Amino acid sequence: MSMAMAACSVRGDAGCSDKDLKAALTSWLASPPRRIDRMILQALLCTAPLKVKVLSNCGLYLASRHPARATMGSLLDAVCVHQLQPKPFEFVNSVSNAAGFHVAAQLGLEGPNLFIGAGPRAWQHLQALAALDLADGLIAQALLVVIDENGEFEAKAVLIDKPSQAADFAELTVGIDVLQLQL
Amino acid sequence: MTPVYLQRGTLHSALGADLRAAGAALQRGVPPTASTFVLNELQEPRPYLGQVATGESLDQQFDRLIGETLGEPAGALDDCLLIVASTSLDINDLEDRARHEGGFSPDHSTSLDLIAEQLRQRWGFADAFTLNTACTSAANALLYGARLIAANRYARALVLAFETPSAIAQQGFGALGLISPSGHYRPFHPQRDGLVLGEAFAAALLTVEPGAEPLAKLLGGFSACDTSNLTTTREDGSHIDWVMRQALRSAGIEAEQIGLVKLHGTATGANDRAESNGVRLLFGDALPPLCVLKPWLGHTLGACGLSETLLLVQNLAHLPACDYASEALLPLPSVPLAITDDSLLLANFFGFGGNNASLVLQRCTGASS
Repeated sequence: MSMAMAACSVRGDAGCSDKDLKAALTSWLASPPRRIDRMILQALLCTAPLKVKVLSNCGLYLASRHPARATMGSLLDAVCVHQLQPKPFEFVNSVSNAAGFHVAAQLGLEGPNLFIGAGPRAWQHLQALAALDLADGLIAQALLVVIDENGEFEAKAVLIDKPSQAADFAELTVGIDVLQLQL
Repeated sequence: MTPVYLQRGTLHSALGADLRAAGAALQRGVPPTASTFVLNELQEPRPYLGQVATGESLDQQFDRLIGETLGEPAGALDDCLLIVASTSLDINDLEDRARHEGGFSPDHSTSLDLIAEQLRQRWGFADAFTLNTACTSAANALLYGARLIAANRYARALVLAFETPSAIAQQGFGALGLISPSGHYRPFHPQRDGLVLGEAFAAALLTVEPGAEPLAKLLGGFSACDTSNLTTTREDGSHIDWVMRQALRSAGIEAEQIGLVKLHGTATGANDRAESNGVRLLFGDALPPLCVLKPWLGHTLGACGLSETLLLVQNLAHLPACDYASEALLPLPSVPLAITDDSLLLANFFGFGGNNASLVLQRCTGASS
């Protein structure tokens, strides 16, 4: 029996623009939020296809290896090089849990919403955090998300309804059909 | 929730070089002196509460903080989880590099778990990760760190929370109009004009056993996301009320048992209104004593969940009065507070991204521990 209820994996190469991500997202969300950055787009793109299976009492546990580089670059260039004020929406988007906020808002999640820096054990860390909330009955489901972009990007999301201790995404999703989106 | 002890704690802040010095300044009612930075373009000064410069690198500051928290000798840490809670992480290095190289290049970008992983390797922690939920980062690190060790995932957890004087944060909060032009940090004042950012390095060792001289017990807590707005919470206070109720439930106590509420109190217009409404929804007319600590430390962003918790539990018997108490939105104390050691404490921490968190704590005495 699979540990996961549903999962989605989105992959794209370095040439995949934010415009491409936005276009893909409109297939899944009727009204995507405006003025969002690449990491938020990637988080929404891998979670929106799971929306129909997600309950409101679901927690979100999201990890990313890096911040959205374009957002960080724009902020650093504006503030540190050109001595300008940052654009307010870019500063707000640079908050690491901004992606989690938008996923929760779009999917109607009301549970805990955590963001961690994704290291080599990101999937184990996310599962450990989610397991606490599932075991205590604070949530009925947990949505686990890992985003990694280094040239190519991968954004993966898994929906679970009981504590799990899989080694990685592949082990978590054994026995279910993972929705694969290639951009 | 299984109670977990804050066995040892360390705080380096603008209020004092260590927790004892910060407590002495708090009890004397001597606020720290703010430096200033200038808002880009507007060329207007804004206050900042930085700690006295030590000349140490970030790594040296971490190592001193961890060493002081663990004591000598630190011993093997292969049973101890490290949670790094911060919004700034290594942003100062990135800012310096952008200045020196004339701009940011994507290859400058460092991994968000870089500091946690370096500390794990250098100190030999069993495991480590970075938790970043804006201004609730350290509160969530305490809550989830405690629950991870209560679930026997690890024997101990060290929460390391810090916030550095980042130009991005200073200019970003400035661009949002959230930093106090007057420099008067006055949470819940009718004419409050924003926050004052502060620098802090804090650490706490969490254990199921009390140890020799525990600082406090974490009895419960709750954290959830208000999806109504990315930068503010529901102004009617309903989400804050719900989060506080869930925190109390997790600790198995009622609102009437709370002996003090440490308010988040950013002194921004929307947050203070929402928190005022939330606190009144929960407690009605029977408000317990209230306190705010950000005027003393500055808003230490991702570190405030730990910096304020440590300052609170160490100074319960000598919490300062508020000199505008008669005007405040909530009944802040007009005379110094002396809260008994065994009082149950509710501590609020809210942040961007809709994150609202409340912790239930109790200072440890010989009897309560």
